[in-house]
Amino acid sequence: MIPLLDRPLVQFGLAVAVVLILPVTMRSGTLASEILIFGLAVAACNLLLGYTGLLSFGQGIFFGLGSYVAGLGLVRAGLPAPVVLLLALGGGALVAAAVGWVSIRRQGVYFVMLTLAFSQMFYFLAYTFSGLTGGDNGLLDIPRPRLGGTVLSGPWTYYAFVAVLFLALFAALQRVALSTFGRTLLAIRDNEARAGAIGYPVRAFKVAAFAISGAVTAFAGALHAMLIGVAPLSNIDYHTSETLLIMTIIGGTANLFASLLGAGAYLLAADALSAIWPRWLLLLGLLLIVITLFLQRGLWGLIERAVALVTRAPPPDDPAPDRPVAAAAREGDR
Amino acid sequence: MTYLFQILNGLGLGMLYFLLAVGLSIIFGLLQFVNFAHGAFYLLGAYLTYEGVERGLSFWVAMPLAALVVAGVAGLTERLLLRRVYKLPHTFHILVTVGLALVVQETVIIVWGPIGGNVAPPEALGGVMILGDFVYPEYRLFVIGFTAILAAGLWWLLDRTRLGAIVRAGSESPANMALLGYDTHAINTAVFALGAGLAGLAGALAAPIRGVEPFMGVEALGIAFVVVVIGGMGSYAGALAAGLLVGIAQSLMATLWPEGARLVIYLGMAGIIMAMPRGLFGRA
Repeated sequence: MIPLLDRPLVQFGLAVAVVLILPVTMRSGTLASEILIFGLAVAACNLLLGYTGLLSFGQGIFFGLGSYVAGLGLVRAGLPAPVVLLLALGGGALVAAAVGWVSIRRQGVYFVMLTLAFSQMFYFLAYTFSGLTGGDNGLLDIPRPRLGGTVLSGPWTYYAFVAVLFLALFAALQRVALSTFGRTLLAIRDNEARAGAIGYPVRAFKVAAFAISGAVTAFAGALHAMLIGVAPLSNIDYHTSETLLIMTIIGGTANLFASLLGAGAYLLAADALSAIWPRWLLLLGLLLIVITLFLQRGLWGLIERAVALVTRAPPPDDPAPDRPVAAAAREGDR
Repeated sequence: MTYLFQILNGLGLGMLYFLLAVGLSIIFGLLQFVNFAHGAFYLLGAYLTYEGVERGLSFWVAMPLAALVVAGVAGLTERLLLRRVYKLPHTFHILVTVGLALVVQETVIIVWGPIGGNVAPPEALGGVMILGDFVYPEYRLFVIGFTAILAAGLWWLLDRTRLGAIVRAGSESPANMALLGYDTHAINTAVFALGAGLAGLAGALAAPIRGVEPFMGVEALGIAFVVVVIGGMGSYAGALAAGLLVGIAQSLMATLWPEGARLVIYLGMAGIIMAMPRGLFGRA
C-alpha cells in the first residue's frame, strides 16, 4: 500500500494548501510568487535527480533560457504572454534534450561535471552575445502578462496567475511521475544495467526526462522574468543551477511536494537571513554539511518521521535514495 | 611576436590549470570522491599568500607556506568530516563539498572583504626579460619553469616511488590494501591533503598574476572540471595536455576575440566530448 503522504491526491492537496496558505500568511506577494515559481523549477530538477538519478548542474541553463525567451518574446517581438510561455516550454525542451543527449554519454561523476561545464558554456554564450541577451544588464522592462484586457500588475494578482499555472504543471509532473514512463525512470535510477538488459532504451528515456525537466524549468524561468520585470544574466549562471539543486536536496528527493517545501524553506530562510547578515551563505554552507551528515532525506524525511511518530506507524526505512545509481556509476567509470 | 607572447602566457596559465586538475584527479582516483571544494582550496591558497605578503613575509616564504596550510586544513577536513561521507551516494559528496566551498568563500569575504587585492611579484622577479625586441615578465617565466619542475616531481612521486605505488594500488582496490596491512585511512588523508595542497599552490602562484578576489574559486572549479573532462579523469598525461591546451587556447583567444575567450573553451570542450566521450587520454 502507498503510504498516506505519498498518495498523489494527498500530495496535490498539500500543494493546493500551500498555494492557499501563502497569501494569508505572507506580506510579500512577490516572495510568495517566487516560492511557487522556484517550487516548479525544483520539482523539475527532482524529476531528474530523484526519479532518474541524474544530478544535473545544468538546470540554470533552462531557467535562464526561459527568462530570455520571455524577455525577447514580450519586449522585442511583442508576442502575447501565452505564446511566450509556450515558446519557453518548447525551447526549454529542445535545449534540454540537446544538453542531455550529450551529457548522458558519460555516467556518474563525469556526467555531473559535463552538466556543470555546459552550464558555464551557456552562461558565457549569454554573456558574449549581449546584443541578444543584454549581457551583464539583462533584458529590461519585461511587462506583466494581461488577462482579458487587464494587466496583472499587482503582486497578488500575478500570484494568482502563477498559482493556477503552478498547480496545472505540478499535476502534470505528477502524471508523468506516476505513468509507466515515470516508473521506468525509477527502474533506470535503481538499476540502469538491468533496465537496459530488459530492453528499455535507457538513453532515450534519460533524454526524454531531460526534455520534460527542461521544459518545466524554462517555463518557471519565463514566469520569473515576468515577475521581476527583468531577464538577468544571473538567471543562467552556475549559482542558479546550484541553488535549484540545493533546494531539491533540502526538500527531499523523489517526492514532488518535497520540492515545493525545499524551495519555500530556502527562499524564506534566505529572505530572513540576508536581511540580518549579508554573509548568510556561510550558514547555508553549514546547513548543507548538517543535511549530509544527519538529514539525508531532507525536510520531507523529517515530516515522514514526525507523521510516523504521531500515527505510531513504523517509520519508513531510510535507504540512501540513490545508492544503486552511485554504485553502478562507479563501476561504469572504472 | 604577439602570438609568442600569448603562447607563453598560455603555457603559464595552462600549467596552473594542470596543477588544479591533477589535484582533483588524484583525489577522485583514490577516493572516488568529487571535490566541489577544490576551487575553495585554490581561493584559500591565493588569499593566504596575499596575507603573508601583506604582513611583510617574502613571497618565497608565503607561497609554500600557503600551500602547506591549505594542505593541513584539507587533511583536517578529511579526517573530521569527509571521512564520514565516503560511503554515501555521490549526491552527498557534492552537497557536502558545495557546503564546504560556501563556508570557505564566505569566511574569506568576512576576513578579507569582498573587494580583493593585488599581490606584487617577488622583487627578484619583478622585472621583464628582454630578448631582442621581445619583452616578457620574469615572474611568468618563473611560473612556467617552476610548475614544469613540479610536474616532473609529481610524476616521479606518483609513478616511481613506493608512495605512488600505494596510492595507485589504493585506487584499484582499497580493501586489498587494508588486508595487506596498510593504513588506508591515513593514505586517504594524505592524498586528499596532497590534492588540495596542489590547488592551494596553484592559487598561491596565480595570485601575483591575476590578483585575489573572493569568487576566483568558483571560476577555478569550472576550469578544473573542463580540464579533467577534456583530458580524461585519472590521467596524469591527460591533465597536463588538456591543461596546456585550455591555457593556450584561452590566451590566444584573448587577442583574437576577447569577449568570446571563455566561450570558445567551453565550446571546444563540448566538441571534444562529442568526438571522444572519454576525453583525450581517458581509460576505456
